[in-house]
Formats: sequence, structure tokens, C-alpha cells
Amino acid sequence: MTGDILILSAAGMLVTAYLMVGQKALFTAIRLFAVQSLFLAIVAATMAISASRHELFVMAGLTVVLKAALIPWFLMRVIDRIGIHREIEPFLNVPASLLVCLGLTVVGYRVSTGFPEGTGGVSHHLIGVALSMLLIGLFLMVTRKKAITQILALLTVESAVFLVAVGVTSGMPFVVELGISFDVILAVLILGVLVHRIVDRFESMDVSRLSKLKG
Amino acid sequence: MDLLVWMLAVPLITAALGATVASRRVNEAVMAGGLLLTFVLCVVTAGRFLRGSIPAAFGDALRVDGLSALVLVLCGFVGLLSGVYGIGYLRRNEARNFVTPRMRRELYGLIPAYVFAMLLVAVSNNLGILWIAVELTTLASVFLVTFHDRDTSLEAAWKFLMLGSLGLGFALLGTVLLFAAGQGHLGEGLSALHWTRFMEAAPRLHPFTLRLGVVFALIGYGTKAGLAPMHTWKPDAYRETPSPAVALMAVGMLNGAVYCLLRIHLISTAALGAEFSGRLLLVLGLLSVLVAMPFILIQWNVKRLLAYSSIEHVGIMAVGVGLGAEAGVFGALLHMTYHSVAKPVSLFSAGTLAQLHSSSDFNRIGNGTFTRAPIASALFVLAAVMITGSPPFGMFFSEMTILRAGFAGPHVTATAIFLIALVVLFCGFAYQVGGIVLGTPRDPSERRVPHPERIDLGMVTTIAAAALAIVSAFYLPAPLLALIHAATRVVWEGR
Repeated sequence: MTGDILILSAAGMLVTAYLMVGQKALFTAIRLFAVQSLFLAIVAATMAISASRHELFVMAGLTVVLKAALIPWFLMRVIDRIGIHREIEPFLNVPASLLVCLGLTVVGYRVSTGFPEGTGGVSHHLIGVALSMLLIGLFLMVTRKKAITQILALLTVESAVFLVAVGVTSGMPFVVELGISFDVILAVLILGVLVHRIVDRFESMDVSRLSKLKG
Repeated sequence: MDLLVWMLAVPLITAALGATVASRRVNEAVMAGGLLLTFVLCVVTAGRFLRGSIPAAFGDALRVDGLSALVLVLCGFVGLLSGVYGIGYLRRNEARNFVTPRMRRELYGLIPAYVFAMLLVAVSNNLGILWIAVELTTLASVFLVTFHDRDTSLEAAWKFLMLGSLGLGFALLGTVLLFAAGQGHLGEGLSALHWTRFMEAAPRLHPFTLRLGVVFALIGYGTKAGLAPMHTWKPDAYRETPSPAVALMAVGMLNGAVYCLLRIHLISTAALGAEFSGRLLLVLGLLSVLVAMPFILIQWNVKRLLAYSSIEHVGIMAVGVGLGAEAGVFGALLHMTYHSVAKPVSLFSAGTLAQLHSSSDFNRIGNGTFTRAPIASALFVLAAVMITGSPPFGMFFSEMTILRAGFAGPHVTATAIFLIALVVLFCGFAYQVGGIVLGTPRDPSERRVPHPERIDLGMVTTIAAAALAIVSAFYLPAPLLALIHAATRVVWEGR
């Protein structure tokens, strides 16, 4: 039962990552990230019950509050305030991107077979999903021009890491998790401030325009 | 209260005061005093270590061994230097009326905060806290990159934060995987991530998970160190960041990141043997030295030039460790020490030249600065001689130590390539510096300097740093040498 919930939630995270790749509207991409974070919280809560590690409940709560609510709200507010047009313009078209991501998922799953659990069990799926998401996050980062989508890509990578931390090790030491969450939210806030300044200056959120510094 | 806690609290308090107090005199006194006290506390901590005790706090989460003590002293030293130079830097700009209250707040607040984060890196014995501290150094320095609020500084800050966060994401995954590799052997609670615990449990760690973790962690912290091919943020950030803060980035942060790399390398060595992570470090280090080569030759900005030199130096340290010989490790740590002493001189004198010409680009500075600003130019040439590893200065000896260790060991080809790269880099650097300092001005308007050179606080700091760097080439204080040996013992024997 717990195993099924874990695998299902992890699959949900992977699906949202794919939807994010195929998505053109910026707001929907942010909502997808919120849904992804909810799945992560479910993984944490399930682990908290099954391994009876109660500090993981706090982690699940933090994930919901910070990553499913606060960060999406903040990112949407940044977009609202700068009021620019809201389409994502990828360097690579959607079908091609999805194909690449499919390949990345295969790679992620292949690497995950080296872990002690081998090809069976829940951990295999969790690590496979996490590594795939990590690669998809990297892919999003290099193929997207908008500053906000790059932040979303970074957050996808972060979620992948958290999935490994929660799902495979049943939680890093609590103090460390807390510090990491705090740092991540601070980084997103600072990135938001930078986006603001970039838009003020260049009247665009297109980071491919940031290309004066070379050599 | 505990010594370590004080050592960390002092820069933090200094930062808080610097960001809130609005009086110039008080700000200057607080920053200089706070960073001086910090340096003294670092030295006292290292002194306690040398007398045989192991300073620790919070249940060994913070712990000072030989490697920590060396990095602490170097970071404290650079913190003090850049704090004092920072005061001089602001005074110069103040005389020209382009210092806003925001700039004052940022410089007086963020420099001590940056120092705090670096010291936390150097004393953390816990891989989780280590990660948090490295992330803090990144966050503390973003607004130093955007300090001048130009188009290009936003670009540099964006790249810096994006690449830095991505690197740290990798490092975090590496840390998680290391933790996963030790499931059941590391125990419970915060102490499960203690580096010392990892070293005890090393033989029982799961090899595949550990390998993957080590690769991710080395790439992640390598990004912060600026090892190629993850170095691309460095030239941009160096150009945009004000010179006092660049000194922290180029020396303090670099030492901190190398410290992280060494900790991961040590866990890997204890569990898998020195070959695995050593070879990775050797490849990354060699690549960094090679990447710096063409870019130094085509460079158009003096601070970017120094950034590529810094990529070279972190490469040299990585090669020294990666060779897998005790002499190589000693050479790398000696190199770290000499680099920490010499690099600020080059950054401060280049910063002075840039301030005198209101830009650090070659075409704005123009050729032949020696006729316009003789003191700063002379200091810059001296610094260039030191950081290219010319005799009789320190880095010549450390590079020679590494080269000898390399030719004596199994990696002869790699060492030969390394030697050739060093020679080319020396020539390239000499060519560039010669052009700026000694070349003939292209047109008469370049013969006068917009702001004449003065012996002010910034200049005095540079001269003092240069004097220390010269002395260090001929005389290293015995306790400092003992620290380097202690650090070598940590890296070579893992204790």
C-alpha cells in the first residue's frame, strides 16, 4: 500500500515535469510546479507514516507551504507586476523536447539500477524518477529563454534532490533539511528581485539577451 | 562562551551593524574593527589547534582540524585586507560623489556577511552544514555582483546565481547520495552527516551510490571553485564586482570551495582509494589550466584577466591534489597559502587602476599606465610577477613542488602538459600586463589620467599586502608552516 502511494506520487512528479516541458503558458507551468510540490509532500508524509519518522511531517508541511503555495504565488506576482506577455519561447519545439526528455528518462532509470535495491522495489522507482527529473530540469534550463522558466527549471532540479533525500534515505537530519529549505527560499527571493531588475532594465524577461559579456 | 562561536558571531554582528548604522565614521570603524577581531580570533583558534587541542562546538558539528585551521587563517586574513581596502574604495568613490546609501549599506553589510559564511564553511565538520554555508556565501555575494547596477552587472549576477545554484543543486544531490551510501552505518540525527563519521564508516559505504555521490559533489563544489568547464560565471562576476569583494571571491571563496572538494575527496579516498576522485580532480584541474590559456591571450578587461588567472590557480591546486602524492598535496596547500597572500595585491592594484580610469576595460584604461599612475602600476607588475609563479616568489616554489611530485609519479604526460600550459600562461600574462603598463599611449589624450593617483587608504593597504607577500616568499612564520604541514597530514592521511 505505502509502496503504491510512493510510486504513484513519484510518477505524478515525473508527469508534471513532462507537462512542464510541453507547456507554453507561463502561469500553467507555475501551477504545474505547485502540483509537483504537492506530490513531493505526499511522498514525505507517506514516508513519515510508514517509517514512523515524525519530523518528516514537518518537512511535508514545509513543502506544501513553501513550494506548493509561497513560491508559486511569489513567481506569479512577479509576472503580474512586470505585466509582459506570458508565452514561453523555447529554443527547441515541443515534440522534439518531449522526445529528448523521454531519452533522459531512460538514462535516469538505467543509472538507478546500480543502487543496492537493484531493479526491484520502491527505491528503484524513486531514484529513477529523481534522476530523470534532474536531467529534465537541466534540459529545461538550457532550452528556455525566459528568466522565470529558468527559475522553474532550477526548482525542478531541487525537487528531484529532495525526492532522493526523502524517498531513499527516509530523510536527512532535520536541522539540515530546515537549513536547506531556508536557503532555497532565499535563493528564489533573490532570483525574483533580479528578474525584476532585469525587466526594468531590458524591458524583457528574455535572458538570451544577456549576452554582452564574452571572452 | 565558546571560542568558535565568538569567531563566527563577530563578523555576523559586524554585518548587522554595517547594514543598519548610517554614519560613515562609525561604519568604517565597525568594519575595520570587526574584521580585525575576526582575524585575531581565527589566529587564536588555529593557535589552540597547534597546541594540541581540537576546538569544536555543537556536538562536533563545527570542528577545527589542520585543514580547517589553515583555511580559517587564510580567510580571516583576506577578510581583514578586503575590509580595509573596501573602506578605502568607498572613500575614493565618495570623493567623486557617486556613492549612494544603498552602496554603503551593501558593502558594509555584505563583506562581513561573506566573511562569516566563508568561516562557517571552513569550520563545518557536517556535510549538511557545509552545503548550507556554501549556499550562504553565494547568496551573500549576489548583491555584491550587482553593486554597480549596470546592464552587465545584472547579466553577471544572473549567470552567477543560476550557475551557482545549479552547482549547489548537484552538490546537494551528491551529499544526499553520500548519506544514502551510508544508510545504517552512520547513525541517527545531525551527527549522521558528520565528516568524521563518514571517515569511520568509509569501508562500509555502498560503492556505487558513493561513486555517484562523489561525482555529483565534486562537480557541484567544483562549480563554486570555478574549475573548468563550470568556470563561465567567473570572468563576468569578477568584472562587475567591486575589487574589495572580488578579493573575497577569488581567495576566500576559492579556498572554501577547495576545502569542500578536499573533504569529499577524502571520503572517496577512504572508501574507494585515491584513484577515483583523484583522477577526476586531475582532469578538471588540467582542463582549467588549459581553458585559461586562450582566454588570457585574447582578454579585453583587466579584472577578467585576473579571473582567468584565478581559474588557472584553482586548476593548479586540483592538479596538485589529484596527482596522488604527498608532495603534490603539500604543494597544493602551499600554493593555496601563497595564492591567498599574492592575489589580493593584484586585485587591489588592478582595482586602483580601474578606479583611476573609471573602468576596468583595456580600451578605457589605455596603454602605458606607468606614466600616469606609477605606484599602482608598479604594484600591479609586482603582483603579476608573483601570480604567474616567477622566482623568487612563493608560487614558484609551490608550482615546482607540484611539478616534481608529478614527474616522480605515474602521471608524467599530464604533468608535462601542465608544465607547458604554465609556461604559455606566464607568457600570455606577461604580454597583457606589459601592454597595459609599459605600452605607449595610442593618442595624446590618453597621456593624462582622469583622476590623479594618491596615497590613500586603499593604496596603503595594497602596499602593506605587497610587502607581506614579498616577505612571505623568503620567510614563512613557523606556526603557518606547521599549519600547512598539519593540513597536508589531514589530506594525505585522512586525520
